[in-house]
Formats: sequence, structure tokens, C-alpha cells
Amino acid sequence: MGEILLKNAWVIDPISGINGEMMDIAMDGGRIVEYVSDKADVIDAEGFLTLPGGIDSHTHTSGTKVNFGRYMSPEDMRAGRTPKKGAMHVTSGYSVPTTYGNSYKYSALGYTSLVEGAMAPLEARHTHEEFAFTPLQDSFANVLFDGNWGMLGAIEEGDIKRAAAIIAWTISAVKGFAVKLTNPGGTEAWGFGKNVSCINQTMPRFDITPTEIIRSAIEANELLHLPHSVHLHCNNLGTPGNYTCTLGTFDIVPDLNDTRQTLYATHVQFHSYGGSGWSDFCSKSEPIAQKVNMRPQIVIDMGQVMFGRTTTMTADGPMEFNLYRLHHDKWSNHDVELETGSGIIPVNYRKKNLVNSIMWAIGLELALLVENPWQCLLATDNPNGAPFVKYPEVIALLMSKKYRDAEFATVHQDTGKRVPLPAIDRELTWHDIAVMTRAGQARALGITGVGKGYLLPGAEADIAVYPIRVDDIDPAQQYEEVIKGFSQTEYTIKRGRVVSRRGDALVHGENTTFWVKPNVPSEYDMTHDERFKEHFERYYSIRMSNYPVQEEYLHRNYCIRTETDLSTTHD
Amino acid sequence: MKVTITLWDRDNPLIPVEAEMITPDAFFSGEEIIIAVGNRHMRLDGIADIHIEGEASSAAEVAIEIRGDSARFKRVGEMMTAGSITIEGDIGMHCGNFMSGGSIEILGSADGWLGREMKGGEIICHGDAGDYCGAGYRGGRKGMRGGSIEVVGSVGDFACEHIAGGEVIIRGNTGDYPCAEMKGGTVIILGDCSRVCANMSAGTCYVYGYADEMIPTFERIGCVDRDGLQLHHFRGDVANRGHGDLYVARYGYLS
Ligand SMILES: [Zn+2]
Repeated sequence: MGEILLKNAWVIDPISGINGEMMDIAMDGGRIVEYVSDKADVIDAEGFLTLPGGIDSHTHTSGTKVNFGRYMSPEDMRAGRTPKKGAMHVTSGYSVPTTYGNSYKYSALGYTSLVEGAMAPLEARHTHEEFAFTPLQDSFANVLFDGNWGMLGAIEEGDIKRAAAIIAWTISAVKGFAVKLTNPGGTEAWGFGKNVSCINQTMPRFDITPTEIIRSAIEANELLHLPHSVHLHCNNLGTPGNYTCTLGTFDIVPDLNDTRQTLYATHVQFHSYGGSGWSDFCSKSEPIAQKVNMRPQIVIDMGQVMFGRTTTMTADGPMEFNLYRLHHDKWSNHDVELETGSGIIPVNYRKKNLVNSIMWAIGLELALLVENPWQCLLATDNPNGAPFVKYPEVIALLMSKKYRDAEFATVHQDTGKRVPLPAIDRELTWHDIAVMTRAGQARALGITGVGKGYLLPGAEADIAVYPIRVDDIDPAQQYEEVIKGFSQTEYTIKRGRVVSRRGDALVHGENTTFWVKPNVPSEYDMTHDERFKEHFERYYSIRMSNYPVQEEYLHRNYCIRTETDLSTTHD
Repeated sequence: MKVTITLWDRDNPLIPVEAEMITPDAFFSGEEIIIAVGNRHMRLDGIADIHIEGEASSAAEVAIEIRGDSARFKRVGEMMTAGSITIEGDIGMHCGNFMSGGSIEILGSADGWLGREMKGGEIICHGDAGDYCGAGYRGGRKGMRGGSIEVVGSVGDFACEHIAGGEVIIRGNTGDYPCAEMKGGTVIILGDCSRVCANMSAGTCYVYGYADEMIPTFERIGCVDRDGLQLHHFRGDVANRGHGDLYVARYGYLS
């Protein structure tokens, strides 16, 4: 982490307004600085494409659910084995690799920060243990609140501030980063063998609807001034005709924040389906994208599906049960006390399958039809839509109509009647891709303030140098070159050290877990709230005092403190 | 071409040897036969005398004979497509993995995973076989898909798990859960077994001995006569919407 000078870097840094400039980047102490002394190590980037380190704003790489995916699919473990090599440990697994496997492969793709999409609060320790052994990326955890009885009770009482206080206590107790709602109302209903049909159906046990949960969580999130917005997995994932539910959800989102979106809707591909059943299943990417274009308070990610084997895993228990009934293969189902649930099944997305072909098209359509790349980020909901190692192919598909047409010719022959993809000519630019894979994520997550997603002095020295000379290739024609170039960085630099070189991880450690602690006034501190304590001691299987994950339990970590609007004196 | 491999006595005969290159195909192609003794890679002639007689115009004309202590030699005959292997003593785990043709004859006993996921060819084991004979591997959806296995002695647990095709004859007894998750093929057990055919969806299994702890979710269809023996005919596993056929001479439920 001494001084480094990265020379001859051809930089695209959307947040700083740099779109293709030859630059030298100086680093010292893990940060980007104005200049370094002549003792600095010099790395020649040879005019290669240089971007801020990649950020995945929605992935599943760590935690109990991911780990269950590993041990219920030993055949997946056999699929991606690599031997010990230099600093690299032995790894195994393809769609759910070991933590080192995830970390090395993400690093080879230039990724330096990962957001675990769904952490069950009660099982936070396991997630943090895996973060610690994901050595080449900084980690952030979305905390599941969809079935949190404390929060749901406060919402039922109409007490948003209490809901906010419960979120604040829980999120800092489990060292989480953001509020995640997975099928709000439905995941909890699944504990009673039920689901909710859409946002206006009252859930069992609590006299509230998903609409009320989503709106209240959004208001609470903004009262706490959390860096990220509410991160939503909409109701009705994966069901034909669910696009109306998604549109309805987007309609209820207020615009409450000047610096970022008010709602992050994840893996929207899975929520953009038309039809009344599987026989007339079709793409509704157009109305969804139009809605996003009209509502700047919403950012989505693609949830792109790519063909091949993978493992689906989500807190959305009832959805996984439906998938299980379709595939009749292995299935795991899990309930997390007063908080959430989960389900896992392995799948194989096949080109011969019409529904799978349509799903593949929808993700691409969303990215191409949402006009502003800051509003549609690139992700596969790893590994649900596809393992993240497919990102280079997704990038190439977005940059080349020719590649899309070539792929389209190989999918199910009836796909053309069900999707608008063949008629879309748009080809994304290098700048668009830089936005959709790092800058957009940094802004949507609200982490530019901690130095993420850009390359000006003061930023964290997280940098990806890809062996691509932008002036020498035409991405619309040479898509193979684009795939190759994004598949393996020349250098991945993390906190001012070269951590990966041409696919090989070189060092370990120095990864940081970012977590959030809202500064809550004492009357809203749940640690001393008698009702909350009583509820906790009565219903949880562990004592409230044993619940928080101690800061010492995390390895290197950074606490983002926020000031809140909870104080009663403000009223 | 006749290949005689005479294994030397080893200082530590318990160290497993990965020997997936011992196949008629590899000897026919003339490639260097590399094995791993523990974690050390070496040439086969570093631990054995190899004597080759005659020529072969295809792998089918290669006959391999293994002499000496091969009880820890794993994956012998893996992926073989033709020819024959005769093992004079015992053989280690995974013998005949994925084989699609040719024959393997084991004069002694075999360890676990004999003929795992095999597609064709035949295996005869004159002694006993270990667990997972003719099964699929961990997490796999399909075990043996074709070919035949005959075990003259008894086999361990989970024999023919996930079997999807081919024919298996076990002349002795089986351990627990033979034919679990059976999807196809035919299995004949001449001795006794327990919890046979759990969760089967298709295929046919005969038990000429006593089937202990029968799975209760099988529907009893009636009686049939086979080889002069009265067999009870069951169909199931109903719990898995299965329509496999299970014939047992004598049976009992867990009491
Ligand atoms: Zn997800």
C-alpha cells in the first residue's frame, strides 16, 4: 500500500465526468492522491481501458443461504475446481463457489466491492465470517426486513418513527448496510403456507398490505438518512402477468431524496412478465422501462438470465416452492424466526425452452430500453439469473446488435413473437457500461462519500485495468474481443495494491466490511425500549443481549454514521 | 495386445493411488501412463512392472491384467470404451466410473462406487462390492445408465442409488437403501436387503430374499410367479408419484 503511479491509463470515470482521457493515476496509503514521489512503483497501463473498481450492487456470495446452496449441490462444487497456485487457495464451485472462488473470480473481472443482496439478520454472523474470507472485495450486506415482526407491528400501528427505530437498532446490531424487502408480506405469509397476490392484499397476521410495508420502509429509510435507498425484490417474482404488480409498485414510490433514487428495485427481469399463464408468457419490458424512464426516483438492476446451469436462492420462500413444483428437483426451504425465510433450487436455463429464452431477452431489453444507464444497472442477481462470470458476455450483448442477433438465432424459435428484442437497435457505449457496472452502483448505494466508484484524489484506490484499447476495437462488430477484454483484467488494484493480475490473485486481505449506524436519539433507542425487549425475549430463540454482532467479530470494518430525523424536538 | 501390470509391494500400501489412466484406451493410444500416489504424480512404471505383448488395432483388442495389491488403486477403467481389464486381487474405489464399453473382471472384492454412472460395458466382481455400487455421485441426478454389473458376493449401502438404466445382479445381500431414487433399469437382489427402492420413480427391482423395513408408501398390486418363486408385486414410490415395479419374495415393515 505504498506509493504507486499508474501511467498511461485510458480512463472512463463517469462520476468525475471523465470519458476517455489518457491519464496517470497516483496512489498512496490506499487512496488516490494528487501526486507521488519518484520512489513510487510505476505500473504502465499501456493505454488500456481503466475504470474504477467494479461494484456489484446485488449478488449472493456470502451467508447461510449461499452456503446451503453449496452443500445441497455437491455436483456444482465439482464443476469449478482450481488447484492452489501462488497466493491462491484451492477453490471449487461454479454457480456457488467457495468464498475464495468468488473472490478470485470477481477480482479477475475487476470487481472490488460486493453487496450481499439478502442477509437474514439472525444469521448475520455467518455472513460476516464469509465476508472475512472474501479477501479481495469490500463487503456490504442488505438486511432483510420483509418479515420483521417488530417493524411490521410498528407499521400496523402507523408509527413510522418506531419502525425506523427498529430498523436502526437491527441494522447496526447485525452490522448491515441497507434495508432489503423481499416479497414484502409474502415471505412472512409463507410461514403460514400462504403468499400475497400483489401489493394491495392484506397479509396474514398483520393487518397491512405490501403497499404499506414498502411505503413505510421507504419513509423510515429516509428518516434514518441511510446511504442506500430501500432495496426491493417486488412481490410475485417469476409469475406470468406480474408486470402489472411491478408497475403498481413503482407508482407508489415517492421522490424523497435529492442525491439518489428513493427505491432500488432489484432483478426486474424476473418482474416484467406478461401473459396469463406459461402458454402465453411474454415480455413486458417496454411498459416497465417506460415507467422507469418517467420516474427518476427509481433505479433498477437487470437480473439478466444467461443460459446454462445455476442455482437460484432467495428469501422469497413461496416463489422457490413454485419453482420446485415446476422442476421437481432438489429444494431447500428455510424459515428465520421473526424475520424472513428462504428457498433454494438448482436450475438449468435452456435455449430450447421458450420461457427461458424470453427471460433472457427481457433482461437485455430492460437495459436497452431504460434511457438513462444510471437507472438500470448490470447484474444477474448472481447466481439466480446466471453466475457473475457471465458479466462479460452480458456487456458484449448490450454493446453489439450483431451479437444479439447471432444469439437470438439460436434461442427457441417462437421467442420472436413474444419479445421486442429483435427490433431494438441500441448499442451501449463504453461509458454506458462504466456507469452500469460501477459508477451507477456507487451512486445508487450512496457510497461515493466513502470513496467508491470514481478515480479523483480522495477516492479509494480501487481500479480495474482491462486489456482493451478502445480506439482499436469496434464493440459492435468485435464482440468476441469485448468478452475477452472484460473477462480478465490486466491489473485489478484494491486499496492501492495490485491484487489480481491477468486472472491470478496475488495477495490476500485488507478487505473491509462497511456497515451503518444511524445516530438515534435515546427515546428511539430500542436497547432500552421495554416493549421491544419483552417482544424479543418472548419470541426469539436467543437473548437480545446475544443478538448483536460485536464489532470485534468483524475483521477490518468501517462504520458509516448517519444523522436521523427521529428527534421528537423536530416535530 | 496383452498388458500385464505387476504392482510392486509399497512401503505404505494404505496411500491411495489415483489410476484413472489404467484403461485399454490409454494403452492403445500409447500415451504415458501417469498416476498420483497420494499427492505425488509419477509414471506407472515407477511402482509397477509393465509387460506388453502383441499389437492392437483398436482399444477393443487391449486386455489389461493387474496383479499385486491394487486394493487402494482408484478409478481403474474410468471412461473406458472398449477392451478388458482383469484384476487378480481387490480393487479400490470408483472402478469403472463412467465406462461405456468393454469389460472389467475383479477376482477379489471392489471398494465403493463400483461402476458409478456407467453407460455401457460389463463389470463382474467375484467378491463383495462396497457402498454405492452402480450409483450416481454426490448430488448427481442419475446413477448407472446402461451396461451390466454382477456382484457374486454382497454389496454395501445405497447400491444402485439413482440408477437410470442397465442391469445389476447382486447374488448376495445388500446393505441399507438399495435402489434409492431409482429412475430406470433392472436390479436383481438374490439375498436380503432393507429399505429397498425408497423414492423410486421408475425401473424394476427384484428381491429374492427378505426385504426388511419396506417403505410404507408402496402400493401392493398382487402376486407374480418368477423362476418358480412367488413374488409380491408393489408399485411406487407413491410419495414420489413413482410408477416403479418392486417384486419381493418376503418382506416386513418396521414395527
Ligand atoms: Zn437476489
